[in-house]
Amino acid sequence: MIKLTNINKYYRQGDHRFHVLHDINLTVDQGEFVAIIGESGSGKSTLINIIGFLDDDFTGTYFYEGQPIHDYTRKQFSRLRNQNVGFVFQNFKLIREATVAENVALPLLYAGQRRREVGERVTAVLDQVGLHGYENQLPQNMSGGQQQRVSIARAIIGHPHFLIADEPTGALDTETSQEIMNLFKSLNRDEGTTIIMVTHDPHVAAQCERVVKIIDGRVVSDSQGAQNADK
Amino acid sequence: MRISELLRTALRSLRANKKRSFLTIIGIMIGIAAVITIMGIGDGITQTMYDKFGNNTKQGQQSTEIYYLPDNENSTVNGFTQQDLTNIDNRFGGEIRRVRIEHATANLNTHAEIGDVTKNVTVSLLKKPTTAVKLVAGRTLSANELVTGQAVALMKLSLAKRQYGTAQNALGTTVTVGTTTYQIVGVYKDQAEYSLDGDQNKYGAGVLLPADLYYRGDAVNQGDTIKLTFDQGSDAGRISKRVAKYLKKNGTAANQGSYQYEDMEKELKQFSSQMSIITKFISFIAAISLFIAGIGVMNMMYISVSERTQEIGIRLAVGATPANIMMQFLVEAVALTVTGGLLGFLGGAGLAHLIAPLLSHSIGGGIHIHAHITMTAFLLAFGTSAAVGLIFGILPARQAANKNLIDILR
Repeated sequence: MIKLTNINKYYRQGDHRFHVLHDINLTVDQGEFVAIIGESGSGKSTLINIIGFLDDDFTGTYFYEGQPIHDYTRKQFSRLRNQNVGFVFQNFKLIREATVAENVALPLLYAGQRRREVGERVTAVLDQVGLHGYENQLPQNMSGGQQQRVSIARAIIGHPHFLIADEPTGALDTETSQEIMNLFKSLNRDEGTTIIMVTHDPHVAAQCERVVKIIDGRVVSDSQGAQNADK
Repeated sequence: MRISELLRTALRSLRANKKRSFLTIIGIMIGIAAVITIMGIGDGITQTMYDKFGNNTKQGQQSTEIYYLPDNENSTVNGFTQQDLTNIDNRFGGEIRRVRIEHATANLNTHAEIGDVTKNVTVSLLKKPTTAVKLVAGRTLSANELVTGQAVALMKLSLAKRQYGTAQNALGTTVTVGTTTYQIVGVYKDQAEYSLDGDQNKYGAGVLLPADLYYRGDAVNQGDTIKLTFDQGSDAGRISKRVAKYLKKNGTAANQGSYQYEDMEKELKQFSSQMSIITKFISFIAAISLFIAGIGVMNMMYISVSERTQEIGIRLAVGATPANIMMQFLVEAVALTVTGGLLGFLGGAGLAHLIAPLLSHSIGGGIHIHAHITMTAFLLAFGTSAAVGLIFGILPARQAANKNLIDILR
């Protein structure tokens, strides 16, 4: 489904050019649950930004379901994101003034649906993440774990092909982290949703089927790399 | 994203910052209110002038008047006779619907002999018995007396008192106007010279006389004023001017005086063009205030964009296009200014209605000005405020749309 070949990424800062990603080759198949681990500044977030169509400034080739992403424009990215990928961020990234229902409905509204058409679907995904009846709450009045559930509900409302989770448990305590991990695992197992997760918590990474380790912008180990290479 | 969604989002975020939104709106409000007030009063004044002095186009036909001014002030010669009317009819019959001698019946200024003193008095003429005056002594003129032309008259209380001491003493005395001597049969209470709607009050005159007797004999067929009536749509001013020119050469009294036509309509047009210059000038000043208000809007939008960087990032991440983001902030700016525009319109309309009576009061002279708020004014307020929102909202909105998603989310 996702095939990255020789991805290089540079940051420009004044006259300096930082080489963030070095010749990344990565393939992710439908239904996989991948953890990307590494130190801060290793480039793992940069990598999933590229995978999740957030960053179009890279060299190399990226084929997503056969489409040449490296040739796409910024405007096409908006639509790709809307239709194919759901994001879960470390600090939840919910709109503070909007209610839970409004936050969750956003992807569908940007896809052009009417507000009254989406109500049922919003209720369904909120039920799925265990937030039954929270539609009219404001995110700022909820606990971290609950906010992350809202964020997951928003990520899955549009039936995306894969989820990008950037340190989804980074701001949560151990117990809540486990609840969120259980939610991800059940999404992966029951719905077959592909999940790519960045984390530096070894406990979380251990629960993923496949672990990719990045150091200084290079993939140094891939627990299923051997199998993938064979394919 | 649908327009209704955009509107809802914009209104919610404006509500979230009520104070700031309101302060930004005030500038627009003042600018628009100023323009609407000036326009409302300006149009009102022009309207009043046309109603008062125009060629009465309102009634489906137009009419003008031509006056005769004798060279010698004390001359008794009449400018218009039946001969003149026939001549005008023959020459201009196709263009003029009707021409007749106008006999004034209200507030004629004339000399009268009251007792043994000759005085300047104003005289009004009655065709029918009137109940509009309040008698303090004697009786009113009967219908029979008016029709048969009896030489009877009513006198104003103040005039009677000055001349005879009391109202009662005035009864039975005489007043001579022209060549006719009238007997005073009643005295009535003084009335204001002008009526409430600004016209001259017929019953404010010093003496009331029977009209038929006053204009009896030859006087019926002669006079110093003619009234020309035209069908709607004809150029009343131009034709009247030609009639006056014709009369200067061929009028029966052309060698003893002059025939004059004053084209009020033309003067009114000049007046209204002067009014519109004033209106434009003040609008220009208001435009400056709108410009300043627009900068305020821009400032607020820039602040809003930088405050809501996170929100922009979230929206972009879940699939908003840069165009969506731009529209959101643009709609916000326009919603802000249009609200200000509509409030300004209401405020301006209210202010105009408040100022107009004060203005007519200070002008006095029975001129009544009503504020005249037109649909054009409404559309102007709406359009201008929307335009200000668009013009001053576009740069902040573009800045919002062009934010780098990666920088925001990092």
